[in-house]
Amino acid sequence: MLLGRSSEGNDALNLNGTVSNEIDSGVEHGDVLLRYADAAVRRGPDLAETREALNAAMGPDAVVDCAATIANFQRMVRIADGCGIPLDSFSRRESEKWRDDLGIDSFRSRENTFGQS
Amino acid sequence: MTTTTEAFAYADGTWPVLERVPEAHRRSWTMLASAGEWWTGAERISIAAECRRASALVDGRPDPGRGPAVLPDAATFAVHKLIGDLPNVTRDWYDETISAEGMSDAHYIELLGVVVHVWSIDEFHRALSIDLEPLPDPIPGEPTRIRPAGIRANGSWPPTILPEDLHETEADIYGGSERTSNVRAAMSLHPDSVRWLSDLFDAHYLSWVEIQSVQEPFRVLTRPQRELVAARVSALNECFY
Repeated sequence: MLLGRSSEGNDALNLNGTVSNEIDSGVEHGDVLLRYADAAVRRGPDLAETREALNAAMGPDAVVDCAATIANFQRMVRIADGCGIPLDSFSRRESEKWRDDLGIDSFRSRENTFGQS
Repeated sequence: MTTTTEAFAYADGTWPVLERVPEAHRRSWTMLASAGEWWTGAERISIAAECRRASALVDGRPDPGRGPAVLPDAATFAVHKLIGDLPNVTRDWYDETISAEGMSDAHYIELLGVVVHVWSIDEFHRALSIDLEPLPDPIPGEPTRIRPAGIRANGSWPPTILPEDLHETEADIYGGSERTSNVRAAMSLHPDSVRWLSDLFDAHYLSWVEIQSVQEPFRVLTRPQRELVAARVSALNECFY
């Protein structure tokens, strides 16, 4: 949600690409970054393969940076959902136009965020 | 804070891990092993061990074993819920957990701090297929059981401290800023967890200064690339926030 809000006005990023591999995110090397993230979070058997694809496309420094980003957000989501962090009313209102498109309104944790404030 | 210099020796591995990462991981291990405000060092390591047990259970790997201290049942269950069943963490579950024997809202936030930081470091290792670092030995000491002043209900389930309510003992936790993120504030019932969060956030992602800057951070991935990855990880975890 907050990442979606921060990307508003960024014409280079297609938000729908963040939830579907069938849609081009518009971000350079977005496809290999997302496939690696998918494999890491889902414990996919293709972890080594997707990591090597990212390595070939962007180099080993990018692999490490992407691994650290994945690790960071595996943490942040647990803080957010473990504490029922509320969303401010402005972000709630402004995000309506794309929340449904992305399907995130169907997440059960929506109740934790909207059940407050 | 002391560090275990031989731990997290990525220099021997395949991947070019910048030194700031193992430095932060070593500080994390010292933090993990030390007594907190509500749990002893041995209990904190048991929480970390339970985190690894939960992960192994989800992944279908062998049980890596329990830690050195016996935890309240509600604490053990909370660790497994936060690792393996995050989409079903609810307000009712939180209220039930902090009301259980041996638990409180402060115990829960400190437990959550241990879980998310050990989990994050382990996830970094798993993403790079690096063996997990052995858990440290506990450092003797007793919990201080000090509840910070200035906490009050601010919208999240646990009470938090707003920047304007900070007292001297935790004045540093928001970096001196008059504003803070909801995620940092959410952990402020246990100020050391906020410090831990900031330290590892800087090493794994961006500093809070870089986050707020319009300048492209001096890291490898561009801002759109890292936000794309972050959004996908959040979506895979069905995290609405």
